[in-house]
Amino acid sequence: MSTESAAAAAASAILRNQVDLLDFIDWAGVECLNQNTAHPFPNALKQGYREDEGLNLESDADEQLLVYIPFTQVIKLHSIVIKGPEDEGPQTVKLYTNKEHMGFSNVSDFPPSDTLTLSPENLQGKPVVLKYVKFQNVRSLTIFIEDNQSGSDITKVQKIILHGSTVETTDMKGLKKIEDH
Amino acid sequence: MVLEATMICIDNSEWMRNGDYSPTRFQAQADAVNLICGAKTQSNPENTVGILTMAGKGVRVLVTPTSDLGKILACMHGLEIGGEMNLAAGIQVAQLALKHRQNKKQQQRIIVFAGGPVNYDKKVLEMIGKKLKKNSVALDVVNFGEEDESKTEKLEALVAAVNNSDSSHIVHVPAGSNALSDVLLSTHIFTGDGEGGSGFAAAAAAAAAGGVSGFDFGVDPNLDPELALALRVSMEEERARQEAAAKKAADESTSQDATMSENVGTSASEAENKKDDLMDDENALLQQALAMSMDEPAATVTTRDTDMADAAVDDQDLALALQYSMQDGAKDQSEDMGKLLADQSFVSSILTSLPGVDPNDPSVKDLLASMQNQPSESEQKKDDDKAPKEDDK
Repeated sequence: MSTESAAAAAASAILRNQVDLLDFIDWAGVECLNQNTAHPFPNALKQGYREDEGLNLESDADEQLLVYIPFTQVIKLHSIVIKGPEDEGPQTVKLYTNKEHMGFSNVSDFPPSDTLTLSPENLQGKPVVLKYVKFQNVRSLTIFIEDNQSGSDITKVQKIILHGSTVETTDMKGLKKIEDH
Repeated sequence: MVLEATMICIDNSEWMRNGDYSPTRFQAQADAVNLICGAKTQSNPENTVGILTMAGKGVRVLVTPTSDLGKILACMHGLEIGGEMNLAAGIQVAQLALKHRQNKKQQQRIIVFAGGPVNYDKKVLEMIGKKLKKNSVALDVVNFGEEDESKTEKLEALVAAVNNSDSSHIVHVPAGSNALSDVLLSTHIFTGDGEGGSGFAAAAAAAAAGGVSGFDFGVDPNLDPELALALRVSMEEERARQEAAAKKAADESTSQDATMSENVGTSASEAENKKDDLMDDENALLQQALAMSMDEPAATVTTRDTDMADAAVDDQDLALALQYSMQDGAKDQSEDMGKLLADQSFVSSILTSLPGVDPNDPSVKDLLASMQNQPSESEQKKDDDKAPKEDDK
């Protein structure tokens, strides 16, 4: 009961003041290492693709995935939803903020901002609330998926949703020249 | 034009002393490396290339990825042959060098020249291949030198493990009369993935084959644009002159037309003399003169006046030539012409500037005298006399 209300509270907290940060992703700079080119990251991140249950982001050579997402402005990250199949979905996920161009070799060089262990519920769509204080000033996010639920060779991710809010920064693209009258 | 950082792994083991590739395996390899560096840097100016050696005392990076072609070629000198090729270490060091490239936007590529035998297990090589694929590094292998069943198999397995949507390739070059670099020119290593270095490769192939350059005047517009332009313009002028001469041959009915063409020919030769100075202006005016004299015998006064003004600005010779060319339609306007011709000083100055015409020549003097008396008739006579003089030139 209490857990249910807590979950409800968490869900409502999301609805209240957090937005889906999809609009603030700088798509030109998104990189994904070890993805299977037939199942690339837009399947999990982009608007139409991620809703499709059949389209997954899949790993290639082994089960690890490294996704680098830069944002167009500074954001605060509140929670994250990672959906995937029950056995091949991710299990241990590490998040790093503001580190550019990470490789698999330097994931252990510095501690992650947060480490998540996803349960099957999370894989159904239950958001994971993050340590908010650690995600106050995020310019870019690196998601390192270390292993999956069943330990298989391929990790599949169906959807990734980021919830948060923006800091008051200027979006340079939105700046328009004031016409003299 | 893919933006790429490339590390080339050179085999400088003892097996490279062999002469089955002329002159030696090592030299053939060096030539191929030079060609690859050139192709990469030319296909995209921001491409970088680095070199490392796999044998000798150990794996050694000679130059980190740079776009400075001179530096790359310089480091190929003074390389010593010796030791045994360490393929696994070479590839891993190359991967590390690429990881620390300056421009992170570049795609990563390793090119391995595998001449000596390969001592590693197939499993180990496959693991290395997987690691390369995971870090999205492409791999090209040139299998030459030692011919060995297991070596071929291992290298094939390595490339298969790395290969991600046909970005990695393996090329087998058997010993023979063909140079290593020639064989490589036609492979993916040079042609990129269909585009990019193909222009360079095509040019290199043409040069290698010893064929014609294929350009219009034997001069590459890229190498020497001014020379190519000058050649093209003079060709066009020659063509224009020949057209005028052809017109002259065709129109033998009226002597006026003959005179016209002759004068046009004169003006053309004058124009050529000043080619380096006022090429475009001359051409434009010449075209105008041609058009006016050929197409419209009855030239309008306004056009003529404009022409006069322009021509007067440029030089007197051309003005005179234009006047002659407008003669055909402006027979009634020959008064002006007569006036100009009557101005002896003006005419003599013209004549002195014309090559081959000596004003002290008696025939010329006669001309001048007769000219003053009878402007219209003498024009023709003068022109006829002038014509042979021009021919004498």
